[in-house]
Order: sequence, then C-alpha cells, then structure tokens
Amino acid sequence: MKHVSFRSVLRAASLAVILAVSGWALLPPASDRETPGSGRRTYGDEVRFVIRVSPGQQYMPGSVPFGIGDPLRGLSDVIEDFERRFPDTRIEVLTVPGVREYLVSLLSSGQAPDIINVNVEDVWIDVQKNWYVPLDPFLEAPNEFIREQGAPDAPGYHQWWDMFKYQAISRGKAAPDGKNYCLSYDMVETGVFYNKTIFQEAGVDVPKDWDEFMVMLKKLKDAGHTPLLMHSELFNDWCTDLFFDQLYYAILPGIDLYQDPSREPYLQGYLDDFEISFLFRQGFFTKDDPRYMEVWRIMKELRQYTNQNIATVDLVREFVTRKAAMVWNGSWFLYRLKADRHLGFDWGVFYLPQFTKNTSPYASETPMCVIGGAAVQFEVTNSAVSDTPPDMPFEERMATSERLKRVIQFLQFLCVPEQYARIVNEYECFLPNIVGVPVAPALKPFEEILERRYTTTKWVFTFDLKFAEIQRRLIELYLNGGISLDGFMDWQTGNIAYGVDNLFFRKKFDVDQLQRAWEEKSPLRAGMEGLPHGD
Amino acid sequence: MGTKAGSILSERMRFTLSCYALLLPSVLLLSIFVYIPVLWAFSKSLYQFEVGGESEFIGLRNFGEILWRDPIIWPSLLNMAIFTVIAVCIRLSIPVVVAKLIYSLPTERGRYYFRLAFLTPIVVPGVAVQLIWGGLIYADQGLLNELLQRVGLPQLAHGWLSDPRTALIACAMVGFPFVGGFEVLIYYAGLANIPQSVNEAALLEGCTGVRKFFMIDVPMIMSQLKLILILTIIGGVQGFEALFILTRGGPGFRTMVPGLWMYFNAFSFQRMGYACAIGVCLFLIIFTLTLLNIRYFRSTEELEGVR
Repeated sequence: MKHVSFRSVLRAASLAVILAVSGWALLPPASDRETPGSGRRTYGDEVRFVIRVSPGQQYMPGSVPFGIGDPLRGLSDVIEDFERRFPDTRIEVLTVPGVREYLVSLLSSGQAPDIINVNVEDVWIDVQKNWYVPLDPFLEAPNEFIREQGAPDAPGYHQWWDMFKYQAISRGKAAPDGKNYCLSYDMVETGVFYNKTIFQEAGVDVPKDWDEFMVMLKKLKDAGHTPLLMHSELFNDWCTDLFFDQLYYAILPGIDLYQDPSREPYLQGYLDDFEISFLFRQGFFTKDDPRYMEVWRIMKELRQYTNQNIATVDLVREFVTRKAAMVWNGSWFLYRLKADRHLGFDWGVFYLPQFTKNTSPYASETPMCVIGGAAVQFEVTNSAVSDTPPDMPFEERMATSERLKRVIQFLQFLCVPEQYARIVNEYECFLPNIVGVPVAPALKPFEEILERRYTTTKWVFTFDLKFAEIQRRLIELYLNGGISLDGFMDWQTGNIAYGVDNLFFRKKFDVDQLQRAWEEKSPLRAGMEGLPHGD
Repeated sequence: MGTKAGSILSERMRFTLSCYALLLPSVLLLSIFVYIPVLWAFSKSLYQFEVGGESEFIGLRNFGEILWRDPIIWPSLLNMAIFTVIAVCIRLSIPVVVAKLIYSLPTERGRYYFRLAFLTPIVVPGVAVQLIWGGLIYADQGLLNELLQRVGLPQLAHGWLSDPRTALIACAMVGFPFVGGFEVLIYYAGLANIPQSVNEAALLEGCTGVRKFFMIDVPMIMSQLKLILILTIIGGVQGFEALFILTRGGPGFRTMVPGLWMYFNAFSFQRMGYACAIGVCLFLIIFTLTLLNIRYFRSTEELEGVR
C-alpha cells in the first residue's frame, strides 16, 4: 500500500478548505436570498407578468443607508401587497449600476428594467429613439386605486396628475418635446451643512450674501479649517447652474426666446437646449460674454476655500471627522448626521447666499435659486411594451400592451399615499411629492428651500454627453490650476460649438421662430449692459 | 500497391480532415467574436452611427475628425507614447536585473523561493492593484502623503492624481518597484536556457560580472526581450483599464489615452462610428510598430553563432 505522508494529507486538506471557502463565497448574500422581490427568479405558469424595477439606492430593499440602522423594507412591503392584489404579477427589484454606458446597452437591446430611476434630463436626449414611454395619457386618466376608494374629492380620483403636491415641478419635468417621461414621487434639495462648534470657535455666522460668505470662508481658512467641502461634480453641476442663474436671471426677459405653457409655471424662463444654441450663435457663452466669464472667475475664487483634492474627496468622512467646517450636500445627508450617535458636534443647514453688485457688476441680486427638485425619477422603458411586436408603431404598442398596463398599475399603486408613506418616510432622505403623505419633521428646512425658484438652465443636461464630459474635465482642470481662464474658454467655446452642431444634427428646430423672437425682444435688450457684441 | 497507397492517402486525408474538424469550432467562434466584429468596426468607422439612432454613411469624415478636429486625440496620443516609453524602459530593465540576481543565487532552493516570491503577486488582479494605488497610496490621507507628513515634508503632500502637474507621472509610477513576476519569469527562463558551455567559455575568457551580463546574457535573451517589447507596446497602445480606474483620463485630459477616449466615445457619448475609427487607427499603429519590431529587432535565433 502506498504510503501517504502527512504533507500530502495537509495539502489535500488545505485544498479542500480553499474549495469550500470559495464555494461559500460564491453564494449570494443572505439579504438577496431573503428579501422578497429581489433577484431574478423563475415562476410558475400562474405568473403572467414579471416586472423589473430599478428604484435606485435610496429605497433599495435590504440596503442600510450610510450603514446606520435597520435594512430598508418599505418598498418590499408595498411590493408584497401589490403581488397579493395581483397574483399573476411578480415585481423584481434590481440594482442597475449608475453607469450610463450600462443603461444605454440595456435600452438599445430592449433589456432594461421596466421601471428605472434616472435623472429625466438624461432621458431627454434619447426620447426620439422610443426608449421611454411618454406617460401623459396615464397621468391625465384617474388613478384606479384612488377611484376604487370612491371619494370623488380625493386627488387622483379624476386625474392621476392631481396626486402630485409640487405640481409645477412635476409638470416642469416634461421633455423639450412637450411630453412627460418622468414620475417624481419625492423631492430633494441641497443645502450647506455646517459645524456649529467650528463656527462658534471661529466667530462666524450664517452669511447673508456672497460677500459675507467669502469673508467667512477666509476666516475659517485662516483658523486652520477646510472651509467648504466640494466635489468636482458639484462644481460642474450645481455650482455652474447657480452662478449662471445669478448672473443671467436679470437679462432673461431679453434672451428667453421660447415659453412652454406646460413648463413655464415652474421653470419660469428656463433656457432650453435650442435657446442656448441660438444664443451661442449670437455670441453668448463665449469670451465676448462678460457674464459667462464671471461664472468661472467667481468659481475659481470659491475654489481656494475648498478641499485640496476635489476629484476623489470623501465628503462624508471629512465632515464627520471635523476636518471641514461646511459641506454642500443633498437632503439625504441629513439622515447620516442625525443617526450618528457618535458625531459629537451640533450642526445646521443654510442655503447659499446671493451675489451682490460687489461680487460682480452683472449680479442679478436675486435670491439663489434651487437646482434640486425631483429626487427619485421613475421612467418607464421600452421593456414595458415588450409583449407587442417591435415593428408596430410605438403609439400602437403603448395602446395594446398588457404588460405596460400592469406596469402603470404598479406605479399607481405605489403612488397611493398610505403606500408611498411607507417608503419615503422610512428614513429622512427626501420630501414626499404625494398629496397626503406627511413630511418628516427633520426635513422641514429643505421644504423651505424648495419653495425657491428653479434654475435658469442645467448645463450638464443641455447638450449631449460628450459636451457634459468635456465640460466636467475642463472645469476640473481649470480649478486645479492646469489651465488658465483664457485657455479654458478656448476649449469651452469649441465644446459648446460642437454641442450646438450636434444638437442641430440630431434634432430639428425652427430657427426662424427663434430668430423672430430674438428680434421681437430687441427693445428689451436695448437697456441691458454687458451683452455680447454690444447688443 | 494501389490499394495500399489509397488506404494510406485516405488515412492521411482522414487525419487531415479530423484536424480541420477539431479546429473548426475554434475558428468559428474566433470569427464570430473576433474577426467579424473587427470587420464590422472597419465598416462602421465610415458611418455616423449612434446607438439606437440613425446611421448615416459619411465616408472618411470620422478619420478627418481624428486628424484635424478632435482636440483630445493628439494630446492623448502623446500621453500614450509617454506611458508606453516609460513602460518599455521599465520592463526591459528592472525585471532583467532581478531575474539575473535570482539566477545568480548559489542554491536552487534559494532561486526557487525568490522566484515564488516574485511570482506570487501575479495572482492579485490588476483592478485591485489600481484600486490599492488610487485609494490607499495616492489618496489624500494615503500612504504617500502620510509618509511625506512624517518625514517633515508636508508641503509636498497633495492630491497626486488630481493635480494636473503630477497626475501623469503618478499613473506611470503605479506598480513601483516594477518587478512584475511575469517578466521576471520570462527573463529567468531565458537565462536558464543559456547553454552551460557558453557560460563556461565566458568564465575561461574572464568575462564575468556586469561585462558578462551585457556581452553574453542580454544578447542570449534577446527573444525574451523582443517578446516583452511587443507585448508592452501592444499593451501601451491598447490598454486603458488602469487609467480608467485611477483617473478616468483626468484631471482634464492630462492622463487621457486614445483607447480610453475610444471607450468614452463608444459607450458614454454613443458615437460608435467615431469610436470605431479610433479603433482602426489604433490597430494601424500596433500593426506598424509590430512590423517594425519584427523587421529591425533580431531575436536570439537570428543572431549568428551564439548557439
């Protein structure tokens, strides 16, 4: 008999252990196995519809926000109720990585979840491809779950639209083609979270205007603190839009060339992509436009008071470990601070103050607008009509699809106040946008901020993704001293020119109509200072 | 006789056919997943083609944009050249020295353990390595900045990957001290393959130490050097995963390379036609460099009289 050495036994045992551990590591997480509605499963013949929903991280069943507290279950509870009501339907909740590349692949192949949560402005650029279902016909009809309650006064009894608390914001999310692709069940707003202890030590208070804000930032820096935490994305997105609005709001009457009656009540002079394009061809947003130059000058001024590394900074960690006095963040951050028992300092929230004529001669001297608005934004994708022939006209597919009807039923069920309250108020993150759902008391400051006017435009979403990516990179480079303002503007002008050309290639606009509006508004512009080409 | 010849022929034929039959699935799969997509990419480089959108034939306009209108392409090509030259210099030098040092160890046991030690890090996935460098070494509170603080040079601590002045070199330094196990193993095999007679002859002639290394060892492992050179050039032109993880080509475009720009155009900007055109250009660059390498860089076997 062959002699078996101790060494061989040890080797074999080690291999067995490694294999066993590897096998165990491959098992799905316990939360995936136990949470109803998550993961992809197989079902019996009684199940006609398997609807896939990607609600975003904020409401994902089983997840623990900021790693504090119990796992979320609000959405899975509502799903259970819906599945009990419709036994032929199963709702699968899944995570779609927040990577656009991934989503585009899914949408182009018709494999996307039926319901996804994406910023609707990101959807607008693809609406002509029939990747998304316009929701207007459903919103104009009653919500069947409210209807069955039999109270004609209840919002939703006549029109689903009536259930939304922030009407202007919700309707203002319509795409430039006039159709609505988005359901906003909740709202988000941003604010500056500040460490009260550091403020007291440095002898500073909440600023009333931008000049006071800059003085305060300097004091904090001199006291050895990082005054304000910012990520490069915030400079590119929130900061650009707020500064732009502060400088252009006063001249909007002369340059807002198109008013959409359905969006105007909320968007009030919003400059759409085709308006921006037309204005660019009139010399706006170039080196000849002093307001546009001021946006970047003021941003660079702010940069000196922010964290050194804006590319990979961990905003949460830096703030809770008291390395910084302030952080600009969304309402979701409130829960992180409130739930942390070991935080060890008091904190407050204020909103960014307005520019003055001292900040810039072109300041509109209007309160800082908001750039938040709709939080979770549900869109219905082309997967919802996958039970219809792909060669059929899209409107016909919408009208005949049984699957789409069930998807809409699920969204309507979710919208019933007693159902959505279970989701949105599970923790303090967003403000409910459904009439009858109470606002969590801690979120009241953000409710007040939300009352402000919406921004003039969202640059990140104005043109295509190439424009947005290049702008983000240029801002980062400029703010990090890698390029001068002059160099930045050379690049940015080329970038906008590319965006404009591409926009006109992809979508057809009535330039003559814009030209007429431009000429009609000429008298209004006559008294305005600092317009390009001395217009 | 005729029957025997026929039977041999048919046996040969059967053998040949069976070889082809066994090769067929691989060739088929290779065609479906490699050659057809490559041909498709060549044809789509002539189109303005957006995912899910309309496709329009535009001839060589995409190539015109690459050559004259895209402001990112030329800086990214320069970055690619810098990264590739640095990588070539590193991979053709440090691992050779390490392999020689291991080979020169007096005992086989010592050589074995050192080979093992240098080879083991290969099991760490490249992505993990990049994440470690990005998240632990170059981070604000990372190893490098902490070290600078400790040795009294806090003024040098900064965001290595976000500073436009240091991002490129910081990316190139990932992997320090550059003793990649794969290269060490290849060079070690080359050194081990040098005939004992050559080593003895060198010893008798008094050719030892550094002189032997450059006069005997390096020429004798020329095949290995050539292989690593080709692989490094191909990797340098094609590869972008490391930069995607570390900086996504930023800050600005300071660490952008054509491969990464191709990726962004294809999957972020949905400009598939343009991305295909960049891909075709990269193919041409790799093809040309490989041809030059084959033509002008002789391998060990081609060096006369060394074996």
